[in-house]
Amino acid sequence: MSIPILICDDSGFARKQLARSLPQNWDVEVSYAANGVEAITVIKDGKADILFLDLNMPVMDGYQVLEAVRSQDLPTLVIVVSGDVQPEARQRVMALGALDFIHKPIDSAKLLAILEQYGILQELDGRGSSEEAQDSHLLIEDLTFDIQEGYQEVANVGMGQAADLLARLLGVFIELPVPQVRKLSASRLPQLIRNAIPASEVSVVTQGFVGSGVSGEALLFIEDSHLDGLAQIIERQVDINAGRQLDLLMEVSNILIGACMGGFAEQLDLKFSMGHPVLLGRALDVKDLPLKAVNTDDELLTIEMCYSIQEQHINCSLLLLFTGDSIPMLDERINLLVE
Amino acid sequence: MNQGIAVSDVHWMMDALQSIEVGLLVVDSDNRIVAWNAFMEHHSGIKSASAIGANLFQLVPNLPVDWMTRQLEAVTALKIPVYSTWKQRPYLFRFKSYRPITGSSDLMYQNVSFLPLGSVSSESANICITLYDVTQSAVSEQAMNQLNDELAHLSRTDRMTQLNNRGHWEELALREFKRCRRYGNTSSLVMFDIDHFKNVNDTYGHQVGDEVIIALATTVRKMIRDSDMAGRYGGEEFVVVLSDTDAEGAATFCERARLEIEQMVVEALGETVRFTISLGYSQMNPDVSSLEVWLKQADAALYYSKEHGRNQVTLFDPALIPL
Repeated sequence: MSIPILICDDSGFARKQLARSLPQNWDVEVSYAANGVEAITVIKDGKADILFLDLNMPVMDGYQVLEAVRSQDLPTLVIVVSGDVQPEARQRVMALGALDFIHKPIDSAKLLAILEQYGILQELDGRGSSEEAQDSHLLIEDLTFDIQEGYQEVANVGMGQAADLLARLLGVFIELPVPQVRKLSASRLPQLIRNAIPASEVSVVTQGFVGSGVSGEALLFIEDSHLDGLAQIIERQVDINAGRQLDLLMEVSNILIGACMGGFAEQLDLKFSMGHPVLLGRALDVKDLPLKAVNTDDELLTIEMCYSIQEQHINCSLLLLFTGDSIPMLDERINLLVE
Repeated sequence: MNQGIAVSDVHWMMDALQSIEVGLLVVDSDNRIVAWNAFMEHHSGIKSASAIGANLFQLVPNLPVDWMTRQLEAVTALKIPVYSTWKQRPYLFRFKSYRPITGSSDLMYQNVSFLPLGSVSSESANICITLYDVTQSAVSEQAMNQLNDELAHLSRTDRMTQLNNRGHWEELALREFKRCRRYGNTSSLVMFDIDHFKNVNDTYGHQVGDEVIIALATTVRKMIRDSDMAGRYGGEEFVVVLSDTDAEGAATFCERARLEIEQMVVEALGETVRFTISLGYSQMNPDVSSLEVWLKQADAALYYSKEHGRNQVTLFDPALIPL
C-alpha cells in the first residue's frame, strides 16, 4: 500500500524541488498544500502519514501547524524542511514535536538517510510496482511553478544561511520574512528603494559581482540609528564612536552579502568575482543614492530581503540587483534545479 | 592550483604572483606567514625569506592586532571573504605612498581582502590577504569631498556677514515651519533692520556702512543658539528663526538684541558710529499656513515698529496689525 505523504510549502517551486528529491521507487501517494490551513485539512483526511513542512508561509505558518498537530493530536509525522538554519529555529520546531529538521536546499542523500533512520522507508523496493513509480514521476513533471517562486526559494535559502551567521555573531534570533522578487524596468528602481527603505538617514554599502554571464550589485541598507542598537548587542555599550560604527557596518555587510551571495552562487552552481565593497554613504537619504541605471529602460531583477531583530527593533535590508542580461542565465539555472 | 598544471608552468605562475602590483600574503591558522610576494617585500622592506614561517604580528609592528584577529577568525569560522575599506581603516600595513614627491599623501591607502583558501582538511585552512593600493582614489575622493563642502558652504553663506544667505535661510526656515506644523512645536520668526541705514551710508560712506552690517551680524551670531537660524535677508535686513521659542522667549531675545545694538559703538575708518535696529516677530500660530505667511506677519510687525518710532520690538498681533 502506498504511504500518503504531504508536501506543504507556499512555493510551487519548493514543492516541486522537494517532490523530486524523494527517493525513487518509494511507494508514496503525494498530496500538496500551499499553507498550514490546507495542510490541516489534508492531514484530517488521512492523506498525510508523513508531512514535509515549510516554516515561513502565509495564512498559517509551520510553527502554527506543529502546534495544531500537537494540540489536536493529529495523525502525522512531521519533518520540517526550511531555509531558516538558525539553531533556534531547529530548537523551536523540535520542541513543538517535529520528528526532524532538514535544511533547504534539500539534499536527496540526507533525506534518504533520515527516512531510513526513522524506519519509514520499508515500503521501498519491489513493493511499489514500477508502473506506479512511473506515474508519480509524471506527476512531478506536471507540477508547475512561476519562475519568480524559483528565485524566491533560492534567495530564501541564501538569506537563511546569512541570517544564521549573523545570528551567531549577535547571539539573537533573526526574523526572516519571505524575500521579494521582482523583474522591473531600471527606471523604477528609485521607487522600489524608497518603498523598501523608508528612513531618511541610512548607511549604504554596495558590492558588485560578476561571473558566469551574471552580474549585478548587492546593496545593504542599515538605518544609522539601528547601528547603535547593533552595537548595544555586540559590545554591550550604548555609545560607540564613528570609527567603530563603520567597522560594525562592514562586519554586517561582509556577513550578509558574503553568505547570501555565496549561498545563491552555490545553489545555482555559478561562480562570481566580487568587487571590493564600497561605502556609498552614511546618514544618506536614499533619494540621493547615485543610481546610474535609472536612466535606462533595461530590465532588472531585484531581490529584496529584510532581516530583523524584533525585540530590539533593528532591521536591515539587503537588495540584490541583477542586470537584465543576467536574467536568461539565471532563469536557466533555476529551471535546472527542478529538472 | 589544479592538479593538471605542469611543474614547468609553476615557475611563471609564481613569477606572476610575485610581480603583480597587489600585496599578497598567505597566513595559516596560527598567523604564520606562508606566502609574501614582491609587493610586500618592497613596501615592507622585509624579505620573503625572513617573512615565511614568521608570525605575522611579531614580524610586522603596529598592526591592529585585535581587529585583524577578529577578521581572521571570522574568515575561518564563517568561510566567507571579509573586506576592509580605506574609509574604515586608511591602511593596514604602514607603507609609504608611491609618490613621495608629487603625491599629497605620505602613506598608502589600502583596501584589504581576507579570503578563505580551499584546503583538503578544512580545519586548518589558510587565509589569503590581499592589499590594494587605493591612494590615488582615496586622495581624490577626499579632495572632492572637501571641495564639495567648501562649495556647499559658499553657496549657503552670505560672503560679507557669514550668516546664511537668503536662499539657504529660506530652506532652513521652511524645514522649521514644516517641523512645527507636524509636531506642534512653537518657534518664532524675527525680522529686523537697521534704522536710517541710508543715513549711515550717506554720512560715512559705503565702507563704513559695510562695517556696521558686519558688526550687527557678528553680534547676532553670538546671541543665537546652535538650533537657531539667522540669515541676511536683504541689504540691511535680517531674519532669525528661534527654534522651540515662544513669544515670551522671542521677546527677551529681541529686547536683548535691541539693547546690545543700541549700546554698541562701531569704529571704522576713523569714524565712530552708533545705530539702532527695529524688530518684529511672530510666534508660530494656527494662522501661519505657509512660510510666506509667517514672514509676512514678522514683516508687518517690523513695519509697525518702524511706524511707531523705531528702535523698538513688536510682536505680530492680528488684532492690531493689518497684514
